[in-house]
Amino acid sequence: MRRTYLGEFEEVVLLMVAILDGEAYGVTVSQALEEHTGRVVTFGTVHNTLIRLEEKGFVSSQLGGATNERGGRRKRIFQVTALGSRALQEIQQLRHELWQMMPPTKLRLTGL
Amino acid sequence: MKANKLHPPHWPRRVLRWFHPAETLEEVEGDLDELYAYWYQRAGKRQATWRYVLNVVSVLPPFVKQRQPKNEYHQPSLIQPSMFRNYLTITLRTLSHNKVYSAINVIGLSIGLAAAMLIMLYTKDEVSYDQFHTNNPNIYRITSKSITPEGAENVDGNTGHFQGPKFSAGVPEIRSYVRYKGDRSDIKKGTEVKSYESFAADSSFFSIFSFPLISGNPNTALKAPKSVVISQKMAEQHFGTTDALGKTLLVKDSFGEASQFEPYTVTGVAKNCPQNSSIKFDVLFPNVVSKEEMESNENWFNVFQNTFVVLQPNANLKKVEATMNRIYLADAKEAIKMIAEKYGDKNKVVYALQPFTDMHLSKDLPAQNGLQDSSNPMFSYILSGIALFILLIACINFVNLTVARSLKRAKEIGVRKVVGGGRGQLIMQFLGESFILCFAAFAFALALLQLVLPIFNELSNKALSFSYLFDFELVMGYIGLFIATGLLAGFYPALVLSNYSPVQTLYSRFNLSGKNYLQKGLVVLQFSLASFLIIATLTIYSQFSYLTNKDLGYNDKNVITIDKSRMSRNEAKLLKEELLKSLTIVDVAPKNGGRWGTVAKVNGETQQSFAYETVDATYFPLLHIPIIKGRNFSADFPSDSTKAVLINETFAKKVGWKNPLGQVVDFWYNEGEKYTVIGVVKDHHFESLNEEIKPQLFTMKPGNLYGKVFIKIKPGTETASLGHVEKTYKKLFPINPYEYKFMDEENIKRYEAEAKWKQIMLFGAILTIFISCIGLFGLATLSAERRTKEIGIRKVLGASVASITTLLSADFLKLVSFSFIFAFPTAYYAIKEWLQNYPYRIDISAWTFAIAAALSILIAFFTVSFQSIRAALGNPVKSLKTE
Repeated sequence: MRRTYLGEFEEVVLLMVAILDGEAYGVTVSQALEEHTGRVVTFGTVHNTLIRLEEKGFVSSQLGGATNERGGRRKRIFQVTALGSRALQEIQQLRHELWQMMPPTKLRLTGL
Repeated sequence: MKANKLHPPHWPRRVLRWFHPAETLEEVEGDLDELYAYWYQRAGKRQATWRYVLNVVSVLPPFVKQRQPKNEYHQPSLIQPSMFRNYLTITLRTLSHNKVYSAINVIGLSIGLAAAMLIMLYTKDEVSYDQFHTNNPNIYRITSKSITPEGAENVDGNTGHFQGPKFSAGVPEIRSYVRYKGDRSDIKKGTEVKSYESFAADSSFFSIFSFPLISGNPNTALKAPKSVVISQKMAEQHFGTTDALGKTLLVKDSFGEASQFEPYTVTGVAKNCPQNSSIKFDVLFPNVVSKEEMESNENWFNVFQNTFVVLQPNANLKKVEATMNRIYLADAKEAIKMIAEKYGDKNKVVYALQPFTDMHLSKDLPAQNGLQDSSNPMFSYILSGIALFILLIACINFVNLTVARSLKRAKEIGVRKVVGGGRGQLIMQFLGESFILCFAAFAFALALLQLVLPIFNELSNKALSFSYLFDFELVMGYIGLFIATGLLAGFYPALVLSNYSPVQTLYSRFNLSGKNYLQKGLVVLQFSLASFLIIATLTIYSQFSYLTNKDLGYNDKNVITIDKSRMSRNEAKLLKEELLKSLTIVDVAPKNGGRWGTVAKVNGETQQSFAYETVDATYFPLLHIPIIKGRNFSADFPSDSTKAVLINETFAKKVGWKNPLGQVVDFWYNEGEKYTVIGVVKDHHFESLNEEIKPQLFTMKPGNLYGKVFIKIKPGTETASLGHVEKTYKKLFPINPYEYKFMDEENIKRYEAEAKWKQIMLFGAILTIFISCIGLFGLATLSAERRTKEIGIRKVLGASVASITTLLSADFLKLVSFSFIFAFPTAYYAIKEWLQNYPYRIDISAWTFAIAAALSILIAFFTVSFQSIRAALGNPVKSLKTE
């Protein structure tokens, strides 16, 4: 089965959306990225990645209701789809399997 | 929260609003605001501003990704068989419900389409002239331009014996040449002699042009001097079979003095020349040029035939022309000097090449002198213009009626929209309807085309046939025409109808009778075109009647002309004596044949060119041409034939003679040939009225041969006179072809072109008016229908039939009157330009415009009032009861 490719940054953003669980939108995702990974990226990068993830079907989005915050402008709230969470799990699984296959000496030699 | 009160700088935000995709602007703007507040709190204003700007840039194109808009509802496909079935049913139902409109639309469109198709057929034929030769595009005609010392230029398509062979020998790019000359030959069949148009060409003729031979060898057919190639038609006519190879034809060259009938062997039978060919021959002889003729260098200037050359493919035209002119200047050096001395001809001649396929529609260098069907491209333009007018008007009808009728369909559109019909679907439905109507019109148009093709052929002097339609390009053209018409007629209504708001159409009383500028504008446009054509037609009619009824300055009634080439003085005298034996014949006057022109010196050194007429003393009285000064030639003055000439008024005016009598005309190139003017005749139109009266000089010089005779007969004695003339002629000149013409009939024949124009314009105008009127009729019907209730109430309140009729008609008549504002100036300009072609023309009178206006209004009034009166006469009880 051909899997949709998930890039490294995309994976991180997808994880953030999953972590934020219903609270994920442009601002929170950027802030979480900065906070948890120390990466400072432009807002455009996050915005584009979220759109791309949605096109690939890993997240779904919905415009939230208008609030008094931000001058009444609505937020676009992102949520991980079933496909997205399966993709995350598969990556996790794959990594895990690969780690299991690593000879134990190798780790020591490289000083890890 | 304090953070929310923090506003990011203004201008980056404006940039964001301008450039960020609208789809995601709201959320991104909000997000960035929030981030600004966050940065402000963490790092201060400067840092926040800086990061804000950076992040705004990161969401501007081309960095930002576009979010694909997501449809909120499922969009059904536009193409659904069940919907199609429904459209078709509805279309057929509406069409059969509104028979009048459907008929108007279909009839109008089919007339428009038929006109357009006809013109396409015509122009296709015009453009296809001479295209069938396989040597195209490398066939050229040698043409020349003579430039007078004053710089006036004159182009000529004719050449002589020299140009072909000499250029061909000296220019390596010229592969071969052929000279082609038109002539007349008498051919004897049994005892009957008939004059045929014949042609002479070099033996390379069949290798240059693609005229296939049925029998005979194309390479040698024109080699032997006494051979002849005839067409299939000629072979059938003369021998009764196309198997004529080797048979003999008795031929006499009608121009050679003392020539006898001599046998010519048929060396080839050619297929009949295609209809779209400038070269059409039935009898083709080899071109025989004597050695002496090729030696006299003066023959560079003796031009009378067409010479064609075939160039190598990829030859450089400019280079070839330059080489040709070098050869000419070198070879004709002596001759140029000689004619300058002998005739004072100092014109410079420059040779050029004209593509063979350009010839047919060329205005400056037309196909003439043995080449046929030369055509004026103006004709194609005007015909296309008329066809376009008609089609346009038909399309306007369609648009107008569909939009006007849409009131009735507004409910249907509303319902369709409410149950989920999209705009695309509605557009498709209405476009589809217009295509169905268009298709019906198309079928009618084909039938119509079949019907009118013979009439059109007669008008346009062509032999187009229906089978020409089955040509790939034309079929593609017609399909294009069909689609264009369908779109033109259907697109606007489709857009308008699909745009109705369902709430308005279903809820409130939908009012369509608003300003309707488009409908009004289109009616104005229609009637502008119609009035324009009426004015054009009226003008052409009056110009034509002017041409045919104008006093020519001589009396052409009861005058017969017969041709007899190379008639000597004795023959003429004998003929006259014999003819006058019959009491029905009043007088006989001989004259030279054809149109002669020459040059002589007057007032010492001034050169004057003029028409050179050889006549005798009976000529003027016979034709009732008054002599206003001096006297006629007379037998009392025996020296008249060698010493005296008469001139016309124009001659005297041109050379500036106050007192012309006794002035001297010097034919200086003939030693001692000088004449004294003894009389001046009144100007008369000896040529067609399309030409200005030229200076004319009449002589009786014995050396000039006569070519025809004018015979004046007593009125009402045509049969007896003609019998006598024929008998006498055949007795005296048994081997000459006999043909008689009535002069007044011939004079009218000169205006055949105008007569055709007249008919074509009339047809165009009638069609245009007809289509405009049926359109107006449809609109009037709709308008009356829409106002049924209003009329009912008016009647109940006491309005008269007349006032209601006026009420209903006035709107349309106003529009028609308004159209004159556009039609009159353009028509005035157009007819003024057209009349410039005629040296003798009518004045543009205000009456033409007044009549056109009255006619338009009258026609429009009749059309509209028919419906208006019907509506006004209706019983108000009925109209008010219906809801």
